[in-house]
Amino acid sequence: MSDHHITPLRTYLVIASCLFFLSGVTVWVSYIDLGSFNIVLAMFVATVKASLVAFFFMHLLWDDKKNLVLFLMSLMFFGIFVVITMIDTEFRGALGFNPETKEPITKRAPFYAQLPLTDTHGYPVDSHDDIHHGDDDHH
Amino acid sequence: MIENVKQNYLTHPKGIMSWLLTLDHKRIGLMYLVSGILFFFMGGLLALGMRLELAAPGNDFISSEQYNNIYTLHGAIMIFLFIIPAIPGALGNILLPLMVGAKDVAFPRLNLASFYIYSFGALFALYTIVNGGVDTGWTFYTPYSTQSSSNVVPMTLGIFIIGFSSILTGLNFIATVHKMRIPGLTWYKLPLFVWALYGTSLVQITATPVLAITMVLLMLERFLGIGIFDPALGGDPVLYQHFFWFYSHPAVYIMILPAFGIISEIIPVHSRKKIWGYKFIAYSTLSIAFIGFLVWGHHMFTSGQSVFSQIVFSFITYFVGIPTGVKIFSWILTMYKGQVSFTPPMIYALSFLFLFTIGGLTGIFLGAVALDIHLHDTYFVVAHFHYVMQGGTIVAFLGGLHHWWPKSFGTMYNQTIANICAFGVFLGFNGTFFPQFLLGLRGMPRRYATYSEQFVELHSYSTFWSGILGFSIFFAIVNLFWSFMKRNKVDPGSNPWGGMSLEWTHTSSPPHPHNFETDPVFEHGPYDYDKVIVEKTYKK
Repeated sequence: MSDHHITPLRTYLVIASCLFFLSGVTVWVSYIDLGSFNIVLAMFVATVKASLVAFFFMHLLWDDKKNLVLFLMSLMFFGIFVVITMIDTEFRGALGFNPETKEPITKRAPFYAQLPLTDTHGYPVDSHDDIHHGDDDHH
Repeated sequence: MIENVKQNYLTHPKGIMSWLLTLDHKRIGLMYLVSGILFFFMGGLLALGMRLELAAPGNDFISSEQYNNIYTLHGAIMIFLFIIPAIPGALGNILLPLMVGAKDVAFPRLNLASFYIYSFGALFALYTIVNGGVDTGWTFYTPYSTQSSSNVVPMTLGIFIIGFSSILTGLNFIATVHKMRIPGLTWYKLPLFVWALYGTSLVQITATPVLAITMVLLMLERFLGIGIFDPALGGDPVLYQHFFWFYSHPAVYIMILPAFGIISEIIPVHSRKKIWGYKFIAYSTLSIAFIGFLVWGHHMFTSGQSVFSQIVFSFITYFVGIPTGVKIFSWILTMYKGQVSFTPPMIYALSFLFLFTIGGLTGIFLGAVALDIHLHDTYFVVAHFHYVMQGGTIVAFLGGLHHWWPKSFGTMYNQTIANICAFGVFLGFNGTFFPQFLLGLRGMPRRYATYSEQFVELHSYSTFWSGILGFSIFFAIVNLFWSFMKRNKVDPGSNPWGGMSLEWTHTSSPPHPHNFETDPVFEHGPYDYDKVIVEKTYKK
């Protein structure tokens, strides 16, 4: 704590220009369509920039290494949160147990065609095609 | 014994401003304690109101809307205003610097700031109550919380603010443990309560910001219509639950880890035996803190998250059982062949062992996906988390309060009444919540103001015993404060339980304003009952 590191002005200027350059990179890659990889790249550039700020402007590089551990821990916890949450959205419905992905049951009892034509509330309807009625109700 | 009473922090300095602007960790801890207990009573009255309504089916006393408000406020007040701040804020603040031999926490002004931030947040919660309550449940699940016309905004704002208080306390404790220990007091010589507070603090500073982000996102969607959780705007309602439980599951460990620490102190002192498996208990604290970050999805088994995630979360959830089991067995082995005395703190600690084990094991049931789909949102879940939160944390908190009461305030309570109340808490608690396991297994859903006829018997048992529980806790706390009012003083040099950590051996009761009259010298570890004889000295 007693010996504070004095950073030369030159280092600050170099880091600042790096930050400006990386901001340019962020804008530039946003014009390239990489699909879902766009967000990964944008986050990567942002992380590099934040790390540069923390390491040089906030003196993390020359500081007690415990602080570095805390910084890395925050990245790790953020990583855990994002990765596991993305696993959920990526795999949703993947194992086929999800009700939405199943085919609706279309089997009918043999006497179905002879029944009076009503919907589920008992009102008369034109056809037995009630699967589409269900869909219509949602709209 | 007046001549023995030197300066203590309660009487020196004097005046209201010396309290409001105090930087003394013990005074801040006392303020946390008083405000925490007030909210505890408020939450408790709401709980009794709910039980009264549920004594018989039908809406006898309150409407369904009022019931929604009451259970939401009960949950939010108990969790955010009492349990999370109470143990670190009150017992932690008073004891942590004493235990590491420091004059104060590392950042005394930050400590006072965190208390005022807590109070400021609590004002929003009180405003919510006065202004008609909030009816979303303490979890504020979307989409209802973005649509409800009740006071979602002030309540979430209050929680947002209180979160910062929690972060600052955690930061302060981490710095204190790292930097303020006296020479010789190495990591493995620290009392286990310090380890527990350290683990808690790590969780507080890493998880709580996510709660703040969640509340901000909720507000962004509510006011600016930015689609984050609403599918119509391109959002994902399950994402809210990911955000919320990424904080709130670790928050369960913020609540229970300090309780583990208290039990690790009470059991060796009242068994007069060295703690069994010190390093195992210390590292199990850290591993619970870490594993706690990987299991949040087990709250969402029926929320439509992917089956793959369910399997992963269910699998990881079982791992929490390992370090927890390590602790339970270590505590039991500590008592083995010790000189167990059934003092009030020990009775609470033994109750904790029973109640928390039931709470923990039913957590394993709920961690199994197949069973959880059946039991989700039933009274089984209600009973499970009350066994953990009340049977675990609050019973340990009461035990810790009884254990350190003569140390913190220099007065001794009536131990017979305290013992009776401790038994009352144990019986009343089981009577209230054990029937709820059965109700849940039979399909009684949680958060309903009424129920069908087949549940009448179990619900009426639960309500009857909740009265006993309420009275017991009330009289236990009145008994404590009564000793303070009656000035039933103990000798400042007394060590009524024969404790070995620095707060018992090196300070007076109540402590000096600067904690130690001379710089404490580290002589023996906190549990060295096999090496050093520490007499129980308790004189009036």
